[in-house]
Amino acid sequence: MATPMRVRAALVAAATGLALTGCAGLTPAKDDAGTDVVLRVQGMPAPTDSAALAQFNRLVQDFQAKNPGITIEGSENRWDPLTFSAKLAGKTIEDVIQVPLTEPQGLIARKHVQPITEQLKQWTHYQEFNPQVLQPLSDGAKQVYGVPQAPFAQGLVYNRKLFTQAGLDPDKPPATWDEVRAAAKQISAKTGKAGFVHESKGNTGGWQLTMLTYTHGGSMETEQDGKVVAAVNDPATKQSLELLKAMRWTDNSMGQNQLMDQDDVVKQFAAGQVGMFMGTPGTYKLAKTKFGMKSTADYGVTSLPQAGGNATLGGAEVFMVPASVPKEKVDAAVKWLLFAQAEAQYEPTVAAERAKELAKDPKAAVGVPTLPMFSTAQQQKIDAAIKPYVNVELEHFRPWLEGTPKLTLKPEPPLAAQKLYTILDTVVQSVLTKKDANVDALLTKAQADADKMLAAEQK
Amino acid sequence: MTTLLERPEVTKAEPAVVASRRRAGLRRELLGLLFLAPALLVFGLFSWWPIVRGLLISFQETNLVDPAVWVGLENFQAVLTDPLVGTAMTNTLLFVGLGLVIGFPAPIVLAAVMSTVRRFAGVYRVVVYLPVVVPPVVAILLWKWFYDPGSGLFNQLLGLIGLGPYPWLQSPHTAMLSLVLEATWAGMGGAALIYLAAMTGVPAELYEAAESDGAGIWRRIWHVLLPQLRPVIGLLLLLQLIGTIQVFTEPYIFTQGGPDDATLTVLLLIFRYAFQDGRYGQAAALSVLLALVLAVLSAVYLRLTRSWSTK
Repeated sequence: MATPMRVRAALVAAATGLALTGCAGLTPAKDDAGTDVVLRVQGMPAPTDSAALAQFNRLVQDFQAKNPGITIEGSENRWDPLTFSAKLAGKTIEDVIQVPLTEPQGLIARKHVQPITEQLKQWTHYQEFNPQVLQPLSDGAKQVYGVPQAPFAQGLVYNRKLFTQAGLDPDKPPATWDEVRAAAKQISAKTGKAGFVHESKGNTGGWQLTMLTYTHGGSMETEQDGKVVAAVNDPATKQSLELLKAMRWTDNSMGQNQLMDQDDVVKQFAAGQVGMFMGTPGTYKLAKTKFGMKSTADYGVTSLPQAGGNATLGGAEVFMVPASVPKEKVDAAVKWLLFAQAEAQYEPTVAAERAKELAKDPKAAVGVPTLPMFSTAQQQKIDAAIKPYVNVELEHFRPWLEGTPKLTLKPEPPLAAQKLYTILDTVVQSVLTKKDANVDALLTKAQADADKMLAAEQK
Repeated sequence: MTTLLERPEVTKAEPAVVASRRRAGLRRELLGLLFLAPALLVFGLFSWWPIVRGLLISFQETNLVDPAVWVGLENFQAVLTDPLVGTAMTNTLLFVGLGLVIGFPAPIVLAAVMSTVRRFAGVYRVVVYLPVVVPPVVAILLWKWFYDPGSGLFNQLLGLIGLGPYPWLQSPHTAMLSLVLEATWAGMGGAALIYLAAMTGVPAELYEAAESDGAGIWRRIWHVLLPQLRPVIGLLLLLQLIGTIQVFTEPYIFTQGGPDDATLTVLLLIFRYAFQDGRYGQAAALSVLLALVLAVLSAVYLRLTRSWSTK
C-alpha cells in the first residue's frame, strides 16, 4: 500500500508543481539584467495578409540589426476592450499597443497609457509633425501619447457603380447634405439598395452623429466657466438628426438594416448593397482585405458633405505605450515606432521601398491616400516616390483629396468622448428604428445625461 | 478468566493504538489535502480570488494601474442613481419573463412528444441536442441572418404566407423577443433530454392505474406525469432563472443593447461600465448587487436540491 500511496503523492506533487509553473508562465518576460530589452509589439499582420507580414518581419530584422540589444516580438493582437484591462492590471499587456482612432482620449484620461513626448522630441523631425495629427493623441498639457499611422479625415464613401445605375455622375459626388439626400433617394428608387447608411452600434452611432454635427456647424462639447459641458441639444445636432429621420422614414432611402457598426457597413458596401456612408479612404483597405472587394473600380470617396459647418472629423490608427511598461522599455518602444511607422511616412526612399514590397501581393492595397503626417510638401515627395507601385485608382480618391484641405479638421470631443458616444448611440438608434421618434425630447434627455456624465468626469 | 486477564493488557495498549490510529488518520487527511491542493489552488486563483477582488473593487476607485482609492459606498450610489440601471433591470426581467413563457415550456412539450416516438428515437435526440453543441457565437450570427429584415430567412418564409416583413432586431418592440427565440432554440436541447430521462423514469403502472380509473390523456399528464416531474421542473426552473438573469452573449452579439437600449441587460451594462467606460468600481458594485440577487435564487435552488435528494 505504501508504494502506491507514494506514487499518488508524487503525482499530486507533480500536478501542483505543474499548476505552479503554469502560473509562473503568466508573468511577463523580463530584461536580462537590463542589458537586453525584449519589446512585445502589437501590429504584426495576420498570416492571411502574407505581404504585410513578410514586410513586418523584414522590418523587425532591419530594426534589430540597427539596434543591437533590442529584440522585437511581434503580436497579432490589437487593442481589445475585453482583455485590455485585465492584461494591463496583470502587466501582461504588450509594450506597444495598436488602438483604433476612437480610443486614445479615453486611454489618456484613464491613465492607461503613458506620455512619450520626451523620447519623440529626440527625433530630428519631431517638430515637423502635423500638429492636427498629434492633437487627438495629446492631453491638455500638450503631452503626446502615441504615434499615428495613416492619419485621415472623414469623408463620404460611395459606390460608383450604383451611382451610374441610378443615373448619377460618379465623378461629381454630392458636396452638400441636400445633395446626399437627393442622391440616396435616387439610388434607393432606381436600384433597390440602401442609398445611405449611418452606423449606430458600439458607440459608432454617436461617433458618426458627431461628424455629421460638425458639418452642420455644431460641436458636442463646449467649455463653460472652465468646465467642459455638453453641447448636444443644439440646432446643428437637431438638423443632423432631422436629416437622418427624413432619409429613413420619409424617403425610405436608408435600407432595412439599421443596427450596424463600421464592419457591418463596409461588409455591405463591399457586397454592393450600400450607396453611400461616412468613412475614410482607409475603408477601401478594409473592404479589400477583409470583405473581398476586388478593386477600386466601384469605389469612390469624396470630402465630407457640408451644411454650413465647413468641417470634418480627423483621426488615425494609433500606436501607444501602456502605463505599465517600465521606463527602460519606453525608449526602445519609441525607437521602434519611429522606425516602423513615422519614417515610412517621412522618408521618400523608405516609403518607396515598402510600397514596392507590398505591391508584390495583389491582395494588398498600395497608395491609398492619407492626410499628411508631416507637411504637405513632404507628403507630395512621398506620393511621388511611391507612384510606380500604387495599385488603386487614385482618380477615385481625387474628390476627397481636393475637397478635404478646404475643411477645418476637428478632433473628437475632448472629454469622455466614448461615454458621450454611448449616450448618443441611443439617440441615433431611436431615430433610425422608431418612426415617431421625437428628436427634441431625445436631445433634451441626451443633454441631461451627457451633462451629468461630464460633471462626474470633472469631479 | 482469560478475558479478564487480557483486559488490562488491552487497556495498557490503548494509548499506543489510539496514537497510531490518530497518526494514520492525520496522514489520510494530509494526503487528502495534498490531493485537493491543485484544485484548491486553481479555484483559489481563478474563482475565489477574483470574487474577493471584485468585492474590494466595488468599494474603490481604480484604473487598475495606479493605487486604488477607497470610496466607501460611492460606487453603489452612482449605480443606483444611474437611470440606465433601471432600464437594464427592466429589460433583464423582460428577458427572464419571456424566457419563462416561451423557453420554459418548450423543452417539456418537446420531451413529451419525443417520449412517444418509438422509431429513430436516437436520431431525434441528436437533432434536438445539436443546437446545444453549436458554439453560441456561431448560432447567433446564423440567427442574425435569419432575422435580416430584407433577405432574412424568417421574413422570406413568412412572406410566402403573406406575412411581414417584420423588423425583428431592428425594432425596440420586437428585439427582445427575437433574442429570447434564439436563446430558447439554443438552450432547450439539454433541458428536453433531462425531461425525457425523467419521463421515462415514471413507472408505467401509475399510468395504467390511472387509465383503469378512467383518466384521459390530459388527466394522466396533469395527475401522473407532472407531479412525477415536479422536482425536475423546479430545478430546471431555477437554473433557467439564474441563467437568464445573467444573459449577456445574445444582446452583446445581436444588438449591443440596442435599438434604443431595448436589449440592454444588467450584464451588458456591467460590461459597458468596465470595458467601454473604465468605471471598474461601478461595474464591480453592480456585479455585487447582481450576485446578491443570484445568491437568494441559489439558496432556493440548494434547498430544493436537498429536498429532492432526500425524496
